[in-house]
Amino acid sequence: MKDTEDILKDDHFKLLAFLITSARGCVVEPPLYGPLRLVDAASRLIEIMRKEGRVNEQIIKLQKMIKERMDLVMYDEEMFIEFLDELSKELAKMLKSE
Amino acid sequence: MNLREIIKGRRAVRDFKDKEIPKEKLMAILEAGIWAPSGSNIQPWEFILVTEKAMIEKIKLISPGLFGNPAVIIVLCINRERAKRGGKLGGITALMDISMAAQNMMLIAYSMGIGSCPIVSFSKSALKELVDIPEHVEPVLILSLGYPKFWPKPPKRRPLEEVVHVERYGRHFKG
Repeated sequence: MKDTEDILKDDHFKLLAFLITSARGCVVEPPLYGPLRLVDAASRLIEIMRKEGRVNEQIIKLQKMIKERMDLVMYDEEMFIEFLDELSKELAKMLKSE
Repeated sequence: MNLREIIKGRRAVRDFKDKEIPKEKLMAILEAGIWAPSGSNIQPWEFILVTEKAMIEKIKLISPGLFGNPAVIIVLCINRERAKRGGKLGGITALMDISMAAQNMMLIAYSMGIGSCPIVSFSKSALKELVDIPEHVEPVLILSLGYPKFWPKPPKRRPLEEVVHVERYGRHFKG
């Protein structure tokens, strides 16, 4: 068993904490913050995968898109939704290429 | 910078340099908070200053809306026992008081080159447990503070012509 200090530094645990507290937040936050937390979690997951050497260029591209555009939720809802569509499309391109 | 420039220049900063904020500047920020207006002068606020890196990291874990690596976190809380003195309006007035205190803090911080971000996306129950906040005290806002890596561009604002009504609601300001 790992001790608590090690667990607090563990990226998987950080993602776990983010998911749990986001779930509670989504009960009261603006509706589009649900998608925001999901793509933020996706970016954090990609970061873990990157550190473990389990990514390719296409996955890194997804993370770049998220980091660059997730803030749109605060400024332009339509553009944010468009970004989510593009992100899904990018994911589909990756699936298609396999 | 004059006050107008400070008000218009402040931004929500989510990317901070790894640089400490001097104690005297932190004191100035906290002091600005207690000089905010307060309904019936109840001053329902309690501020928790967090500077220990390990605790900041823990607060980040339970705060989905907290981005970057701030040097300091201030948790702004309402003391519900004090707020009760405001009667039925005590709760809402306390929120306004906290908001005005937070604005004072963010503006003076900006005037000293320090960036800030107000955050409501955090787990209240987890935060109360983490920093030993008693039952009658409610954390309502987190301010993250630090020297910004960059100042974000200004977001669009609704124009005065849309927001301001002159003498009667619906008579829009024409400039």
